[in-house]
This record gives sequence, structure tokens and C-alpha cells, in this order.
Amino acid sequence: MPLKLLKTNMDKEQTIERVLHAKRYALTLDKELCTGCGICAAICPREAIEIKKSPKVEGERVEPPTINIDEQKCHYCGMCGPICPFGAIEVKVDGEHLISVLESESFPQFIREIDVDTTKCDLDCVDCEEACPLELIKVRVTSPDGEEVRDIKSWPGKENLKVVVDIDKNLCPCCRLCELKCPDDAIRVRKMIQGFIKITPERCPENCQDCLDVCPITGALYLSEDEKVHVNELFCIYCGACKMVCPEEDALELQRTSIRHTPIRSGAWNKALEKLTSTKEMTKELQAKSVKKVKETVEKRLAWRG
Amino acid sequence: MSEEPRIGVFVCHCGLNIAGVIDVEELTEYARTLPNVVFAKRNRYTCADPGQDEIRKAIKEHNLNRVVVAACSPRMHEPTFRRCVAEAGLNPYLFEMANIREFSSWCHPNTPKEATEKAKEIVKMAVAKARLLRELKTMEVPVTNRALIVGGGIAGISAALDLADMGFKVYLLERGESIGGHMAQLDKTFPTLDCSICIEGPKMVDVSRHPNIEIISFADLLSVEGFVGNFKVRIRKNPRYIIADDCTGCGECRDVCPIEIPNEWDMNMGVRKAISVPFDQAVPLVYTILKDYCIECYKCVDACGARQAINFEQEAEEIELEVGAIIVSTGYNIYEPYDDSLYGYGKYDNVITALELERLILAAGPTGGKVVRASDGKKPHRVAIIQCVGSRDVNKYEYCSGYCCMYSVKHAVQLKEKYGDDVEIYLLYMDMRTNFKGYEEFYQRARKAGVTFIRGRVSKIIEDPETKNLIIRAEDMTLGEPIELEADMVVLSTASIPNEGTDEMSRVLNVSRGADGFFMESHPKLKPLDTPTDGIFLAGACQGPKDIPYSVSQGSGAASRAATILSKKTWEIEPIIAVVDPDACRNTRVKCGICARGCPYGAISAPEGEPAVVTAAMCHGCGTCVAECPADAIAQMHFTDAQIIAQIRAALAENPQSKILAFLCNWCSYAGADLAGTSRFEYPPTIRAIRVMCSGRVDRDFVLEAFRLGAGMVLVGACHLPYDCHYISGNVKMKARMEALAKIFEKLGLSPERFRVEYVSAAEGVKFAEVIKEMTEHMETLGEKRIKAENEKLQPTLERMLSRKKK
Repeated sequence: MPLKLLKTNMDKEQTIERVLHAKRYALTLDKELCTGCGICAAICPREAIEIKKSPKVEGERVEPPTINIDEQKCHYCGMCGPICPFGAIEVKVDGEHLISVLESESFPQFIREIDVDTTKCDLDCVDCEEACPLELIKVRVTSPDGEEVRDIKSWPGKENLKVVVDIDKNLCPCCRLCELKCPDDAIRVRKMIQGFIKITPERCPENCQDCLDVCPITGALYLSEDEKVHVNELFCIYCGACKMVCPEEDALELQRTSIRHTPIRSGAWNKALEKLTSTKEMTKELQAKSVKKVKETVEKRLAWRG
Repeated sequence: MSEEPRIGVFVCHCGLNIAGVIDVEELTEYARTLPNVVFAKRNRYTCADPGQDEIRKAIKEHNLNRVVVAACSPRMHEPTFRRCVAEAGLNPYLFEMANIREFSSWCHPNTPKEATEKAKEIVKMAVAKARLLRELKTMEVPVTNRALIVGGGIAGISAALDLADMGFKVYLLERGESIGGHMAQLDKTFPTLDCSICIEGPKMVDVSRHPNIEIISFADLLSVEGFVGNFKVRIRKNPRYIIADDCTGCGECRDVCPIEIPNEWDMNMGVRKAISVPFDQAVPLVYTILKDYCIECYKCVDACGARQAINFEQEAEEIELEVGAIIVSTGYNIYEPYDDSLYGYGKYDNVITALELERLILAAGPTGGKVVRASDGKKPHRVAIIQCVGSRDVNKYEYCSGYCCMYSVKHAVQLKEKYGDDVEIYLLYMDMRTNFKGYEEFYQRARKAGVTFIRGRVSKIIEDPETKNLIIRAEDMTLGEPIELEADMVVLSTASIPNEGTDEMSRVLNVSRGADGFFMESHPKLKPLDTPTDGIFLAGACQGPKDIPYSVSQGSGAASRAATILSKKTWEIEPIIAVVDPDACRNTRVKCGICARGCPYGAISAPEGEPAVVTAAMCHGCGTCVAECPADAIAQMHFTDAQIIAQIRAALAENPQSKILAFLCNWCSYAGADLAGTSRFEYPPTIRAIRVMCSGRVDRDFVLEAFRLGAGMVLVGACHLPYDCHYISGNVKMKARMEALAKIFEKLGLSPERFRVEYVSAAEGVKFAEVIKEMTEHMETLGEKRIKAENEKLQPTLERMLSRKKK
């Protein structure tokens, strides 16, 4: 039987499919969510993801790289799905959202720690919503019976109203912009990827701001008065989109040092981690894991002491 | 032999068969006059006991050291007389036969005088050769009594079990992960409808448990060296990344593996895990990690736990085995008609092959036994089964694949039994071939079950883009008009084709393939299981499409053929082999190797700078290399240049211009000439024939020598091209050699009809007689004068060309 490997490429998404008589696999890339950071390509075990740099037109904003998935190579392990900081890739088996590497605990998920204490919120404040560069936050005010209240001013008894902050967490790369912009200190965000980034402006080409053009997070990179791009590490999510487009080898340094993820014991993850961070960082994680294990064992043994 | 030849000639009357035409008295007298003949006698029946006694007596009394019997064809009684002289203490190869019955008395009954003259010359030629005969020893090689079976399908399994039960050690080599072959893929078998794996599974288990059988699976055959009884085989075991001895086959690793890939075993209709077995009944039940797909999460390692059967570092391992016989049972493949737009396979979702239907209908298959359409997962209500897709098609595969009629009838019956009136079956066929036991009855069962049989060919299949149903346009031969059918599913009964890698296997084993691509047997009737290479046998569908009972019988048959070798301590080799004179071999000085390249059996090796070496046990004694050797450094025992040239000279000593000198190969043209005799076809007594084992032995120099001596005509008789040669390709080599020679003769002014190459089979007695008649006519038309004149003109050139020979 011929292997039916299909591909449809549309403006907003690319879908590849593997259709067998008994099962159907589909992988969809949401091109609007994709920033071209290349994290998925780096970890794909089949090297099925190809990153294509967009051609640069003099004097125009550089477009982020595009991603092309090779339907001949992909075997739908689904690792690219959970590793995408922006949630741009979705894998479905027989129409169900299913990632087998997650089911079998062969691959972790990001821990996206975003806490909002809405009791602190002002009723008419939408700063976080406005701050989110990816438009993932929706702020609403609801009445005690859960109805959304649009006209707050004419509502009697404002103390009954509640602020609800909806965050599409699966797509959130945890940039902390909302946290920083919140006037009431109501949001707490922990970055899911740690690292460091450094731009050496002297090495940047004249008038180049390609990194800034593709950076998905407003304010993580900025153009200073010297016409050079600088970093505000506070907001950087270390996705690496900037590095993908930087024309100079050593003008931009980016290194990830740790990734916050659900606990895992998997060779596939170790490999992915090594590719995304470095051998050193991977070893560190493994050591931490074994220390933790030892600690658990010791605690277990000493449990009789109470 | 330094001893002076003392030849005894025995002339047989063969009742009146010879004596009725030939003056045997005169012939015996004549024999006495020949050089070195010290005794001549005639008997009524030389082959009968009294005749044989006389030979034995004469050897003792007259101290004979050579014996010539002038009687029937050596193809008839040479072995008898060889045994006879051996009993008298003479080496059997010091015997020569003069065929005066088939070649003289029987074909010239109306010209007794000429027949007698011809018989005299035949005896003269035999005596000339006998003077140069040498003692030869039958060689014996030791036999390794172990067997290798290549391919673990049902044919290989049957062969393995039989040989192992006979007490021989058997290595069963399988390329895939499990033995079982195609049979293990099938749901049910015709005509009994018993479940395929239920009957094959126990056999597979028997194989794995048999103390005499070692299964080497997931491994490739790299090379085969050696010869009958003594093969050295190299095998590469591919890494499974599982330690076979430690794997219990529990499947816990499979359960935790996250990676699903299309399962080729399921014809890519279902999936398997990256660590898995292709099917649950696999033997050996050892899992395999498909490294190409594995993401190395090591969940399987955790699941395997203390058993520690997984080893990601495993590497391919090469092993060497020594075996005495090899059975090739590499099976077949199914043609997937992507390249034929007629059927829309690969383009239309609901067009599948019969083997795919087999996987669908199987309860353990990818759909759990539900026959459903690929397009919408729904059950089809109208199924069209189309026969002869690729088979019996001059543009594709000319042969009939044989068993498709039966499995299609089986599919029809199965669908009917499963879904009853809920499904309509149309079976479009060319001819319904239901021979063998119980097959016709099964076909009648399908008819009774309500299957619609339509005799006719499909002209086009079109898909309805909306419903994904298929519109079949065909011709109904019974109605004699075109018809159109709509079906929900189309099943193609496609051709069986040679398995993937058959060409490489044919190189490794040195087993040739027929025009259809399947392996060629030694003889289609009498040696259906042998290959031209001694010790290598064929079984099952690698030789041509076969159903299960046929393959099983062949497996058992091949096992018994192999046992004829394995059961012996030593194997005898006829000593008429080629021998290289290392001093004369030019391979030591220049890069030659012509003999090695020319040998159809790969029996000669010519390493650079060293003289060529013939591996005696691999040599079949065709003599092609002897004729090809540019330095005359190779001799064929019992058919040496000197012996054959002595025969030529004896034949052409008198009136050469009115004779046809013929070189006939033992298996076809000599046998054809024998048949002309036994059929009493008359032809002019002009021919003097020299027997060689293969036309490939006919040296250019023999033809030159014949014309130098003034021969009227020269004929080279061979087996038919391309496949009839009993030495694979001796006739092909001869053809090239003689075509080049004919060009030289043309330039030298020889009338082209005087030199002829003719292909005569053992059945073509008529043709042989016709050829001789024709050549005699040509010879007479040219006339002695012209022939002599041409010869005179040729003489100096021939002398020069042959100067090398005159030693």
C-alpha cells in the first residue's frame, strides 16, 4: 500500500498528514504563532524541520525565518509540539489532540508559572492586556452570577464585581511584560527558559536591526540613541529568533542555561536539552536529578525517625 | 604414460542393427591394421555379459592398455564399458567408444558400402584418440554435513525441518525479523479455509525448538565461496539493538514506546512501534529497535528493567559458516501496479491489492478484521476483484502467476461468508485456473455463494470524486459487449514477481535467472530443484510463482536433494576437468584472466601476477576456458587438444574435400544426431563427428586445422541460445568466437557456407539430418575443384595461424 504522505501549505498554516488505512496522523504549524526561532528544528530527531531565512530587502524590515516541515521525514513523535514556546505546533492522531511522547512520558512540558491575584486588580485596569505582546491576555469584569459587565460605571455596588484575567497559557512564552506593567503587583510570572543574551554593538553591521525586527517580545530588544540594538534581559525569553537572523557570527551571543519543565526521565529529553542549552547545562540537570533521587532515598530510609 | 599403447578394438554386431548394414568382418580386419591395435574382435552383443567377458579376457590375455568399442552411442553405453574395463584392472578413462550405430548403420541403411567406409573412419578416429588417452582418477572431496537454507518462508521451513529430522545440522537464514514468509501474512488458505498462521505457526515454533536448526534472522548473505560439499558462507547479522538471548518477548518495551511507524508487514495499513515485532507470532520472538525511527527516550530500557535485553551499542556482526549444501528459498514479491494508470492504484483510495485485502480481512490485522474503505472507513457493499493485473500481460509479466485465481475465489468466498447478502462480489477474470486437488470444487462453492463471475478484461477504472466509488469499464466476453460497473472497492490480484534482491542473490550464489527474473532450475522437467551449481538447490516461489502445497513439496524435495550430498562422507568429481599449466599461463606476465572471466561457474581464479588456478570441485568440465585461453595453457582432461586434433587428422586423412567435419556438444547436438540415428532418418554419409562436452570447447584452432587439412565443410553443433546450454553459457562464448572466425574466413575467400554453426537440440533429429543434407548439397554444388582451390589459397595463412600449434 502506498504511504499517503500529504502536505497542504496555506497562508496561515502548514499541515502535513500521514494517512494509513487504520490511522491518521496530522501535524499543523500555525504560521501566525510561529516566530521562526528554530527551537523545534534544533530538537527534531528526524531533521524533518527546515528553517528558511527570508530574503533581506535593503531598507525594509527583515521578516522572521519560515519553517517547512518535510512530510517524508516526519514520523509524528510530537516533540516539536510541547517544545514550541509559542504553542505553534499541534499534532493530532485520528483527529484527537494527542502527543505520544507526552503520554509515554518521553518528553516534558514547559512549566508556565503565571499567577494572577485578581483580588488586587483595579476594576478598570487593562494594563496587562495591553502589555502582552502576543495578545494572549483578556481582562473582563464579571458580576457575581458570572455575567460579563461591560459598563462598570453604571453598575450598582462595585464591590460585588470581580476581575477575571484570562491568559492563554499554552501559547505564553512567559516574557514577564505583564508582570512588570501591572500597577498593582497582581501578576507573578516565572520565566520558563533561563539564559543570557549579549549584543556587542561594535560588531553589529551599520544600521542593522534585524534582531529587533524579528523579536516577538516588545521591549526585549530596543534601539538606543546610538542607533544600535540593545538588550533588556528582563523580558527576553531566550527563544533565539534574533540569533536566527543575525548576519554577524559573534555580534549576538545567546545561551540558554535552564528550562523549567515537568519532571522527566528520558534520553530523548536529555538530547533535546543538550541541543538547546549545552552539554554542561544538561549534565547539571542530570546531576541535580540524581542528587534529588539520593535525597529522596535517604529521606525514605530515615522516615522511621518521624 | 610412457608405456606403448596396446589397443584392443571390439566391434559390436548389435544383432543386425549394425551387422545388417555394415560389413563387420571387413571393419574388424581394418581395425587390425590401425597403428597400436594389437587385438580386434567382433561380438554379437558387446554390451551383454559374454561380450563384456571377452573384453575383460582380452585385456588380460593380450595385455591391452586401451580399449575401443565400436558400437552404439557413448551416451548409451560408455558408463557400461568403463565399468567393464575397470573390472579388468584398466583405468576407466583408457576406454573410447566409436559410435557406428547411431552415426552409421542406422542413418545409412541403403548405402552399406559407404556406411562401412564411414564406420572404418569412425573407428580410426576413436583409435587415434585412444592412443593419446591417459589415466584419470576420479576425485573425492570431503563433505561438510551441514546445510544452509536461504529464506525462511514456508518452503525454507519445510526444507529445514526435513533436513533437521534426517539428522543434519541446518542454518536457516532469514533476511527479515521473523521466519514465516508471505504465508504468515495471510488470513486463510484455499481451498480448505484454514487459518494460515494457525497451521504455519506450529511449524515455525518447531523450527525454533529443533535442536538441529539454528535460525539466523535479520541477517544478510554476503558471499558464498567453495563448492559442493564445501561451501564457505559469510553472513552479516544486522543489529536489532536487543540481546536475543535475554529478550523474553514480553512486549513491555513496546507498550511504553511512544513512536508509531507504518508497518510494512501490514502493507503499511497499520502501525508498529519503533521497538516491536512485525507480528505477534514472530519466530524468533525477539524484538527489534528500528533505529531510524527511535528517538532514544530509553523508556524501553526502563520497562525491560532487570532483564537488560536492550543494547543501543549493538553492532552488525559478520559470521562465517561451513556447509555442504545450500537451499535457496528466497520467495517472491507482489507487484504493486503504480506504473499502470489503468487501475488507479496509489491514486484512488479504494483500489487495493489482494495482499492488502488479506491484511484487512485478518482478525489480527490493522482494522481488526473489518474490511473497510480507506477513503471513509466504511464497509464496502460492492467489491470488484480483478484478475491478472500484470500477469499474462505481454507488456508487463508474460507468465501466469498461477495461484491468483484461487486466492481471489477465496477472497470472494470469505467476503460472502462474512457479510452475506450485504456485499456483492464481481470477479473479473480472463480464464479461471483451478487445477489441483479440491480447487475446482472450491470454485463451484464460490459460484453457489452468489459471486458474480465476469469473463473479460478491464479497460479503465475511474474514481467518482464525490463518493470515491469506482467505475469499472470492462468487456464482458460472454455477452460480447462493453459493460460498466460501479464498485465501492476494487481488489487487484497482482502478479507475483521475483523478490527484491534476487539479482544480488543470483550474483552471490552464481545461480542464473530466467527471462522472467526467477531463478533457473537445472532442467525444467528432470532437475526442477537443482541449479547448475552442484550443491545448490531451489525451493519454492524463488523459482517461479507457487502456492503453499507446491512450495512445501519443493521444500521437502530440495531437502532430499541436499541430503544426497550431506549423507555422503565424500563427493566424487568426474575428472574431465580443466587443468592449467602454470608455466604456460600468461597471467604471470600480463593482466589476462580471460579464463576466469569466461568460466560460467566461477571455478577459475587468476590473481594478478600469478598463474590461474582451477578449483577442481567447481569445474564442470565444459572446456570453454581451454578454448578461450590465448596461450593454450589450459587442458581439458580426456578432451585434450592433442586428442581432438588426432581425431581431426584421422577423420580427414582421406578425401578431406568431400567430408563435413563436425564438432558436436554432448548434451544437445550430439544427442540430436543420435536421435536422427535412432529415428532412422537418412542423410548422406559425409559427416565425421567429434564429440565435445560443450560447444564452448571448440577451439578456433580445431576449425583452422580442419581447413588446413582440406576439409570440405566444418560444422559446430551447439545447444540452443540462450538458455539451453548445459554449462550455462558455453554456447554464447562459442558463438562470439566463431562469429569472429567467420569474418576472418570471409576475408580469406572461404565460401561462407563451408563453415557453419548450428543449434540442434536433443529433440531435433530431423533438423540434424536436414542440416547434413543441406551442407552436403552445398558441398556438391561448390564442387571438389572449387573447394580444393579455396583450400590451396588458404593453406599458407592457415599454416601461419597454426604455427604455434605445431609442437
